[in-house]
Amino acid sequence: MLRLALPTGRMLKQATPFLEAAGYAPVESLSDTRKLTVPSKCGRVEYLLVKPVDAPLYIEQGVAEAGLCGKDVLMEVDADLLEPLDLGFSKCRMVVAGKPELERKLDNLLSPVRVASKFPRVAQNHFRKKGLPCTVFKLSGSVEIGAVLGLSHYIVDIVETGTTLRENGLVVHEEIAECSARLAVNRAAWYTKLVEIRELVDNLRQAVEGAKP
Amino acid sequence: MAADSKQLSFPPGTELVFGPQAVRRQWISDCISQVFRGWGFSEIVLPTFDSAETFEDLPDQTDEAELYTLIDREGRRLTLRADFTLIAAKALAMELRRQPRQIRACYEGRVYRFAPSGHGHRVEQAQRGLEWVNARGAVYDAAVLMLARECLASVAAHDALLVVGHAGFVHAVLGEGRRERRLLEALDYKNPSRIRQVAQRIGLDAGTVALLEALPLLTGGPEVFKTVREFRLPGAAADALAELEGLYGLLADAGATDGILLDLGEVRRADYYSGFMFKVYDPAVGEELGGGGRYDRLFDRYNMDVPAVGFGVNLARVAEATSENGYANGQAESVADDAGAEGLKRIAASRAAGKSIRLEGK
Repeated sequence: MLRLALPTGRMLKQATPFLEAAGYAPVESLSDTRKLTVPSKCGRVEYLLVKPVDAPLYIEQGVAEAGLCGKDVLMEVDADLLEPLDLGFSKCRMVVAGKPELERKLDNLLSPVRVASKFPRVAQNHFRKKGLPCTVFKLSGSVEIGAVLGLSHYIVDIVETGTTLRENGLVVHEEIAECSARLAVNRAAWYTKLVEIRELVDNLRQAVEGAKP
Repeated sequence: MAADSKQLSFPPGTELVFGPQAVRRQWISDCISQVFRGWGFSEIVLPTFDSAETFEDLPDQTDEAELYTLIDREGRRLTLRADFTLIAAKALAMELRRQPRQIRACYEGRVYRFAPSGHGHRVEQAQRGLEWVNARGAVYDAAVLMLARECLASVAAHDALLVVGHAGFVHAVLGEGRRERRLLEALDYKNPSRIRQVAQRIGLDAGTVALLEALPLLTGGPEVFKTVREFRLPGAAADALAELEGLYGLLADAGATDGILLDLGEVRRADYYSGFMFKVYDPAVGEELGGGGRYDRLFDRYNMDVPAVGFGVNLARVAEATSENGYANGQAESVADDAGAEGLKRIAASRAAGKSIRLEGK
C-alpha cells in the first residue's frame, strides 16, 4: 500500500475528483473527515491529510511515499523530491510585484532590496541569483500591504488573476515561476516501490488527460 | 552556576550519538570495515579540512553556499571536508606520484555541508567508503557493486537496492542540452511533460526530445536495454549503453544481479562520474544510503591519467535500514568503586582472563 500526503484546504477539494477518476476514491469524504489518515476504497492507497507546507517534508522523509503539493510550496520548502506529473490544477504564478514606479529600478536601488513575502526562501534565492543583496520580511497575512505602505520595495507572492494586486495599486514586475499542483514522489520510493508508483503516475496521468477539455 | 538550555545544546544539523545507538553505529562501521579488509583495502586517514579549491567540483549540484569555509590566521581560505573522494584523490595522487600502482584505500569520517534547519538533514554526516585507483575495466565496476552488496548484507540490510546508471549515456543523450539548467532540473524531477516542454523550447530535434521524455521511465530490469534501443541513439550513447549492458551481463554471469535496478535516466552527479554510477536505497529509509561509480577523469586536475572507482555509505542512514542490534551486551563483572586495592586486583585478574568488568558506584 502507498501512503499519499494530501494538503488540506482548497487543493484537497480540487484534487478529490482526480483521485476518484484515477481509481483511488477515499472511503469517506476527505474534506469532511476529522481523521488524519483515510484509506482508499481500492485498498492500494492510504491518504495522510496534512497542512500544505508540511506535505513535502512527510514525502521527503519517506513517511508518505508520494503526495500532492503546490509548486509554490515545493519551491519554498525546497525538499528533495521527484515531480513526475504536473496535475494542471491550482494554477497560479509566483511573481515579484510592487508599485508601478519601481519598474526597471531593480538594478539601480542604492540600498539592499527590501522584499516582503510568505515565501522567504523563494524571494531570497531569486534575488541572490540576480546578484542583488536583499532583506526579506516574512509575512503571513496580506503581503500586498507591505509594498503599499513602504515596509518593502517589492513583494514575492503567488498571483492567480491579479485582481488583489490591481486593487492595491501594484503591478507584476517579474515572473519567477508558473505554479500548479504536482505529484511529488519520494526518491527512494520511486525505486523501492517501482511498480506501485508507476501505476499511480499512470492512473493520475490518465485522469488529468481525461479532465482536459 | 546552572547551565542554561543554550549552553546544553548543539547547533542544528550536528550529530550526537551515544548509548546503544553509538554501539550499533560502531558495529555497522566495523562490519563494513571487515568487508573492506576482506577485499584487501587498507585504511587511510584524510585531512578534515583543505584549501577551498579541492571542493570546487562537488557532486550533488552543491554550490559554494553549502560549504563551511574559514580563513585561518595566515589568510588561507580553508574548507571543511565536504566530500571524501575529492580529498582522497588529492592524497592518492601524491602517493601515485611517488610510486604508480593500484591502490585500494578505505576511509571513515565525517563530511560537512550546510543543510537548512527544519528538514531533519544533518550538516555532519558520518561516512564509510573506499577508493580503488588504477582500476580499469568492467570487472572493477562489477566488483565495486558486489562489494557494496556485501557491505549491506553484512549489516543485514538485505532489502537495499543498488540503482545503476551510466554517466556517459546521459552526457551523450543530452548533447548540448547538458548546459541547460532547466532541462537538467526537469530530468532530475523525472517529469516527462516538463522535459518535452524545455527540450522543444531550446530547439532539440524531435528524436532527442522523444528519447529525453522517455528517460524517467527507463528504470527497471534488463528489459530497459531493449526499450531504449527503440529510440535513435547518438553513437556515444550507444557505446555507453553497450558498456552498461556488458557490466550487467558480467554481474549476471557471476550470479550477482540480485537487488540491482537499472536507471538510464539518472542525471544527478552525472558530471562527477565518467562511467557507471549507482545509488543505494532501502525501503525502510526515505533517503539515499550511499552511492558510487567510476570517475576516470578525477585525477585530470593533477595531470594524471588514473582510472578509478569507489563508493561510500552514510552510516546514520544505513543504521536506519537495518534492524540488527549490533554487538550483543555480554555479562560483565561488577566491581564496587569502594573496594580499594582488592577491587583493583579482581579487575586485573578478570581483564587478564579476557572478561568484561564494570567499576561502578553503589
